[in-house]
Amino acid sequence: MFYKNILISFFKSRSSYLRTYNGVITTFGNYRSVLPLSTTRLALKDEKVKVTFNLYDGRKIEAEGKVGDTLLDVVVNNDLDIDGYGACEGTVTCSTCHVVFKQEDFDRLAEEAGDEERDMLDLAYGLTDTSRLGCQVTLTKELDGLEVKVPESVNDARS
Amino acid sequence: MRRRAFVVKWPLERLSARSLGTSNVAKQAADTSDIGNLSTRPPACPAQGQRSRSTHAVASVLESLGPAVKSWDEVPGPKPLPLLGNTWRFIPYIGGYSVEHVDQVCLSLRKQYGKCVKMAGLLGRPDMLFVFDAGEVERVFRGEDAAPHRPSMPSLNYYKHELRKDFFGAEKHCAGVIAVHGDSWAAFRTKVSRVALSTGAAAQYTEQVGEVADAFVNRVREIRNSESETPSDFLNEVHKWSLESLGLIALDTRLGCFESREGSESQRLIDAVNTFFLCVGELELRAPWWRIYPTTMFKKYVAALDTILSVTLSHVERALQECRDNDSKSLLQDLVAAAGPRVAAVTALDMFLVGIDTTSNAVASTLYQLSQRPDVQDKLYKEISSVLKGRPLRAGDVAQMPYLKACIKEVLRMYPVVIGNGRQLTKDTIICGYNIPKGTQVIFQHYVMANSEEYFSKASEFRPERWLQRSTYKHHAFASLPFGFGKRMCLGRRFAELEMQIVICKMVNSFKMEYHHEPLEYHVHPMYTPNGPIRIKLIDR
Ligand code: HEM
Ligand code: FES
Repeated sequence: MFYKNILISFFKSRSSYLRTYNGVITTFGNYRSVLPLSTTRLALKDEKVKVTFNLYDGRKIEAEGKVGDTLLDVVVNNDLDIDGYGACEGTVTCSTCHVVFKQEDFDRLAEEAGDEERDMLDLAYGLTDTSRLGCQVTLTKELDGLEVKVPESVNDARS
Repeated sequence: MRRRAFVVKWPLERLSARSLGTSNVAKQAADTSDIGNLSTRPPACPAQGQRSRSTHAVASVLESLGPAVKSWDEVPGPKPLPLLGNTWRFIPYIGGYSVEHVDQVCLSLRKQYGKCVKMAGLLGRPDMLFVFDAGEVERVFRGEDAAPHRPSMPSLNYYKHELRKDFFGAEKHCAGVIAVHGDSWAAFRTKVSRVALSTGAAAQYTEQVGEVADAFVNRVREIRNSESETPSDFLNEVHKWSLESLGLIALDTRLGCFESREGSESQRLIDAVNTFFLCVGELELRAPWWRIYPTTMFKKYVAALDTILSVTLSHVERALQECRDNDSKSLLQDLVAAAGPRVAAVTALDMFLVGIDTTSNAVASTLYQLSQRPDVQDKLYKEISSVLKGRPLRAGDVAQMPYLKACIKEVLRMYPVVIGNGRQLTKDTIICGYNIPKGTQVIFQHYVMANSEEYFSKASEFRPERWLQRSTYKHHAFASLPFGFGKRMCLGRRFAELEMQIVICKMVNSFKMEYHHEPLEYHVHPMYTPNGPIRIKLIDR
């Protein structure tokens, strides 16, 4: 009975809460990428960053992102055709967003890989010394014109 | 009320095969097989006698289209008896396979049959394939589709989808992640995983989780016996710590487990979680009478789940209230804001179902292992002291303690609390050169792989250094995956890691730990855990 009562009161109160809370917070991205940048973001809204993805099959895809976007954001927002990229939606559980940087670009990335990212990079296919997870790399103005390699096997290599 | 009748102790003897990966689920998942041409191929290539990764290396003589693939029938494994199948092998004394020692069973299957072993004819269960090849585990994981299917407990399936479908089915895609599959799972998971798994989601809890760990340290200091050893029900105390920590994370609440009193809400929750553990094993292992009529055990089980659900819901309500009054940040409030109160409540329920005994057994196991290794403790103590320099723990501190993290990884490599993980195939898949049909439960044998010399150098030795950057030890990343991998990876991983790191850090910082008894064997219970009283001598630092 206890269970029933709770359920009923829960159902009753729910809708008003929903109304209050819809719209309070709309973005739920990565804490790291959203929070620290949220203030600068408005000011830099128009700062575009050009990125080129060199795919393992020889294709070259050029796209534009904004300062503060992650590389995964760039792929998703531009609907880029990279098979299986970003399967876990940036929650650092899959390593399908693996990209390889040129050494000089790698060295000037704003942030080093954190522990979660390093653990997951360990599981990336074809790991290199200049590998990062695209969902954890945020674009800065300095990175305009960046080129990255998207290695093979974001999906089953054999299918 | 009936709930009072239950004892507040975690059962020492939990006979159960419940593990996140090995139990069973009614057949489901019906999508198209995208390698349909396989089934029209000849079942076997007689010219090929090799298994394992041979599909890469050996070109088929018969077909130039692709590598030779052998049929499901040819997969080696213990032969099922007519009528009895293979279930009899798990009957005590006669069968030779023991459920508590599935770890040993798996080791010997690997020795006898090779890297992929078929377990067919398990009564009322889909056929299983045990995989001991890390390369193949990697391939299956990388080939996952949008909604990987992990087999789960039928009794929970029944609770969510039949008995309480008025609640779990009231809104579309609102049944949670445990015992849920396909689109429903994917839709729900997307809503919660960004909040629960984003990097940094856990760090905001450092201080609060630290307070619970402090309370735990004080508690064990008090309950040491005259020899300064932890009492024989030490694991029960660790369970309380785990529940208290999870209450904080999932419900924004200090449940007060260390000083809980009969009849209080937290006590009811503790009892319910206890009962759930106790029952789930019984229900999954014995003949499933509950499918026909509600047995006493089943009624207890349902009552326990109802309690967990109702307590969860009431806390979600309170959190909503507070959420309006101030804008503090917490997982629960973030979930409510991102996906609504119902999603938040169901997430909390799921976390309670799988987040308590996993974490507590991992901590108990780690403390036990450390207590036998003074040198490792010394190194840990040095690392911790150099970061803390006498001040209390703050967010970001554990990130400066690589050796601490390495120790936990090493314990979970050698003694993974979940010894195997699994996927029910949603399409025909080639594994180890065999065509494995859709619907088969593929079990990745992480315990066996992670302890094999093939994938880890000096596999039988406790060497945390192997996990430090630029270590020269050989390792295969897919052999040891204590939290799983991919879109379906453990949803509580960030919290579990934080909780463990903090409590181990505080224990090492407070005590020198020693162990002066016979070594304990590990058993599957249903977590992989030391079998017997964990009596650790705690000497104040
Ligand atoms: C040492 C502690 C823990 C270990 C070893 C562990 C291990 C696992 C494993 C192996 C899986 C299956 C992953 C897969 O299929 O790839 C899993 C799933 C899950 N775990 Fe954990 N876990 C732990 C702690 C926790 C905690 C503390 C929570 C909650 C806060 C939690 C919540 C979950 C949930 C909800 C799932 C299901 C995810 C899904 O199916 O989408 N776990 N865990
Ligand atoms: S998208 Fe999965 S790890 Fe980056």
